[in-house]
Amino acid sequence: MSHTVLDPRVAPPFPEAALPVLRNAQLRKNVAHATDVIQAKRAALVAEKADWQELRAAAAAIRANVLENLSAYLEEFESRCTAAGGVLHWAPDAAEARSMIIDILRDERATEVIKIKTMTSAEIELNPALQAVGVSAIETDLAELILQLGDDEPSHIVVPALHVNRSQVREIFARRMGLSDLSDDPQALTAAARSYLRKKFLAVPTAISGANFLIAETGAVSIVESEGNGRMCLTLPRTLITLAGIEKVIPRFQDLEVMLQVLARSATGERMNPYTSLWSGVTPGDGPQRFHVVLLDNGRSSILTRRTERQTLRCIRCGACQNTCPVYRQTGGHAYGSVYAGPIGAILTPQLMQMHHAQSLPYASSLCGACYEVCPVKINIPEVLIELRAQVVDQERRESRRWFDPMFLGMKVANFAFASSLRFRLAQWLGRVGLRVFTRKDGWIHRLPNLGARWTVTRDLRGLPDQTFRQWWAGRKEGR
Amino acid sequence: MNPVASRQLILDRIRAATQSAQAGPSAGVLREYIRCGSLDRESVLQLMADRLREYGAEVILSTPSNLPFVTAEQIRSRGGRTFVVPPGIVPDWPITGVRFKVDRDLPHDEIEGCDGVITEAFAGIADSGTIVLHHSGTEGRRVISLLPDWHLCILRSSQVVETLPEYFARCPQPPALATYISGPSATADIEMTRIKGVHGPRFLNVVLVDDESLSGNQ
Repeated sequence: MSHTVLDPRVAPPFPEAALPVLRNAQLRKNVAHATDVIQAKRAALVAEKADWQELRAAAAAIRANVLENLSAYLEEFESRCTAAGGVLHWAPDAAEARSMIIDILRDERATEVIKIKTMTSAEIELNPALQAVGVSAIETDLAELILQLGDDEPSHIVVPALHVNRSQVREIFARRMGLSDLSDDPQALTAAARSYLRKKFLAVPTAISGANFLIAETGAVSIVESEGNGRMCLTLPRTLITLAGIEKVIPRFQDLEVMLQVLARSATGERMNPYTSLWSGVTPGDGPQRFHVVLLDNGRSSILTRRTERQTLRCIRCGACQNTCPVYRQTGGHAYGSVYAGPIGAILTPQLMQMHHAQSLPYASSLCGACYEVCPVKINIPEVLIELRAQVVDQERRESRRWFDPMFLGMKVANFAFASSLRFRLAQWLGRVGLRVFTRKDGWIHRLPNLGARWTVTRDLRGLPDQTFRQWWAGRKEGR
Repeated sequence: MNPVASRQLILDRIRAATQSAQAGPSAGVLREYIRCGSLDRESVLQLMADRLREYGAEVILSTPSNLPFVTAEQIRSRGGRTFVVPPGIVPDWPITGVRFKVDRDLPHDEIEGCDGVITEAFAGIADSGTIVLHHSGTEGRRVISLLPDWHLCILRSSQVVETLPEYFARCPQPPALATYISGPSATADIEMTRIKGVHGPRFLNVVLVDDESLSGNQ
């Protein structure tokens, strides 16, 4: 497996990154299978819920309210969590977050740390930073373990290894765990992971987690999971570090009655995920006795500024938009060059980069709106995509190199031609004559040179008819 | 950057972006979703049992007077020697040849070495087949219902509600610790094939005790 780069600052633009994937039949098959299965399960469980739209409306309103009053809820969370024995750290950016975590680990004299799946830690590229200071991070989620041992990167927020199939997992485990006679039965592969990690859970005294929800009212943190690796990391170690984006807070404990119902159904197509954990600070005699929360901004606060874009931060990371997206389903996650792939990634990533990188992502969409329809917190992703496209165009407008961009020049020419009927008719005539050379006998254009190839490389173009509508109309009147 | 400055920087950025002076509670949230279920008590219990079985958990029905015998029988059929119980449960079940370790800060290895754990629960949520632990004296520390591979949970019918919001309505205070268990540990990370038992207990057995005399005088 070639190593994928999921850093938006250096990743190639989406169309370029997507090409090799589109030629990889195995990968596309793996992605299609996984997304089909989750979608079918989700659809069945949403259909049985008579109050689904009411739940969505409430979930969207809870999250919108949080974002409007974010500083107050964060301060409330801080005071409750601190009162319960937690230690809060505020990280303005990824580098600060990494160094805060490394400082805590240094105080703990940690050489190893067990981790629950956290996309936020992938966002701040924590694992390489830990490695650099001599701390080895052990991923304990099965999918994350597959990726870590296979030197691969996540391609989905909920099921990060969905692009890998069982025989690939077998190969990775056999090689890295030294199990040459391992079968490719998922049961056997899961058992291999269980015994591989069991010793680590019992021995490693420090854990790092993400968070699904921070509860302002009680200072509690909640994590939803399936395997029990989360409970292990939250219960057995002496020290726990939770890394959470500032937008993860919800006002009240009772708000979970909405969030948990929409999250499990949307994420994995379950009525409830097998394990949900909730803890406030430190409980004497039960679980870690040292607890740190690192609250991460890293570009989030800048997304709050504008109303349209603000809804991006309502996201509860269920991945439903990825499963339903006709673009993601073809390209998988790696083409997005970010740990946040799919429709939510297409709006979140460039904004986290403050529109300095990943400008191709808002275009990685057909604007079909399927993502909006499944979103449990009603993020109008197409609306945000269009807004971000406008920002990208505004950026380009300011650049002098645009005069060398054939697309820009084409638009300029079109603008000129469309402004007068004479020039428009002339352009039509030129187009008809020009394209005639490329039009085959079947009336279709299969291949165009240069810029036109961007169209014909993936689809045919209908040849222009012999006369325009206006010409036909004029001829028809004369004939009467 | 010093910690105070970092905190101030983030809060200032947020305040500047939201311009919100007032910190309202979630007053504007319309809660029109279903809060109370519509099933009768017997159907709620039936739904709870069905959901648990769908997850691959074993469900055993019992009356309050039969509970010690049912519990003993469950432990016998598990076929182990050592079981852990929380300090709030007295293991006076009619069974011999089995050792019960009462968890008074037992070390992890010792819990790991046990063949199973027996706990009670705070609530059951029928709609999703969820068992709720608030980790009181009868429910135990989090670790005891995690490390052993077999979890026998005693759930009383009066604790079972139909919907998730009904559970929240029953919480007088938000719990400091809670675990919501919906079936045994599972994963679907390899080709979306559901596999039971990754790290948590692979076997979840639930004794559903009818303490409301729902099924007559059995």
